[in-house]
Amino acid sequence: MLRESSHRNGTIDSLNIHGAVNPDSDSGVPDGGLLTAFAEAAVRQTDALPGLRERIASVLGAQQLVDAAGVVANFQRMVRIADGCGIPLDDFTKEASEDWREDLGLHEFASAANTA
Amino acid sequence: MAFAYTGIDLPIRPKTISSHQRSWEIIASPGRWWNGAERIEIARVGRAARDFEAVGSEILSAAAVFAIQKLVVDNANLNHEWYEEIIAADGMSEDRYVELVAVTVHALSIDEFHRALGLELEPLPDPAPGEPSQQRPPEAEQRRSWPPIVPRTGLHPADAMLYGPLEWGANVISALSLIPENVRWLHDLSEGHYLSFAEMRMPDPLRSISRPQIELIAARVSVLNECFY
Repeated sequence: MLRESSHRNGTIDSLNIHGAVNPDSDSGVPDGGLLTAFAEAAVRQTDALPGLRERIASVLGAQQLVDAAGVVANFQRMVRIADGCGIPLDDFTKEASEDWREDLGLHEFASAANTA
Repeated sequence: MAFAYTGIDLPIRPKTISSHQRSWEIIASPGRWWNGAERIEIARVGRAARDFEAVGSEILSAAAVFAIQKLVVDNANLNHEWYEEIIAADGMSEDRYVELVAVTVHALSIDEFHRALGLELEPLPDPAPGEPSQQRPPEAEQRRSWPPIVPRTGLHPADAMLYGPLEWGANVISALSLIPENVRWLHDLSEGHYLSFAEMRMPDPLRSISRPQIELIAARVSVLNECFY
């Protein structure tokens, strides 16, 4: 979805998908480092979370903070549906993502055995 | 009224609030295989698990409690063998498992929204009276995911469009459809937290962050959970 949205948004040339996997890698998405740091702090419930909340609110805005929190919350749910039901990759996703899944090391995840 | 969000200085969207309120009503009501008190207990056990508090339960079986805890804190390591053991345990079945997953993950999602924003967790609701209907959709079929799923024809006619153009929907959309009401619930909370079904098709939906920013967060959360799907 990240690649597809960047295609449709006209920003695919600046996208570095490794930024979603490696926090030290620049995704090329505006304020992507701040947003992924927030996502990580929220998922891991680290002490950095309050400061990142304040930073997003001051740099991007309060609505942006709320919307970012919503996305985190949504995908904390969706990954557990996928993992809890052992769903296979959708055929259209499998074909479109084969190369970069390997490149990003996603086949190393334990859940790859359930959904590949 | 649950989820009043009074006294906070954050612009919570009305759709988010209404989806949270509906979710609490759904959790408190009898489902197809668990009654309201049991469903609330599922949410309570899941909430405690997120805080790494291994609570017991006086009304849920040990297998149900274990399944909730695995879903919340060790979801990356679930496998088919584990699933088969859970559904074969006393008090469990594939139908009860699907309903347990739905309640666990929807309650967790709402709690996660609160945690991400530093808000107090909403008190769990009181149970509504009534017994589970124990109705399994006759159209349910075993496909490639662990629990059986239901094709478009087994959904309420008003919900059939929620599968999109495919008979079975994307796998994550139909995953919990053995309880067909879950498909509507899935979409309702998606719209409250992320995007509506229609917005998912838009390159630039009406949110304060761009679609690539939204999907970058989504991808990061998925990676942190080691979710291959």
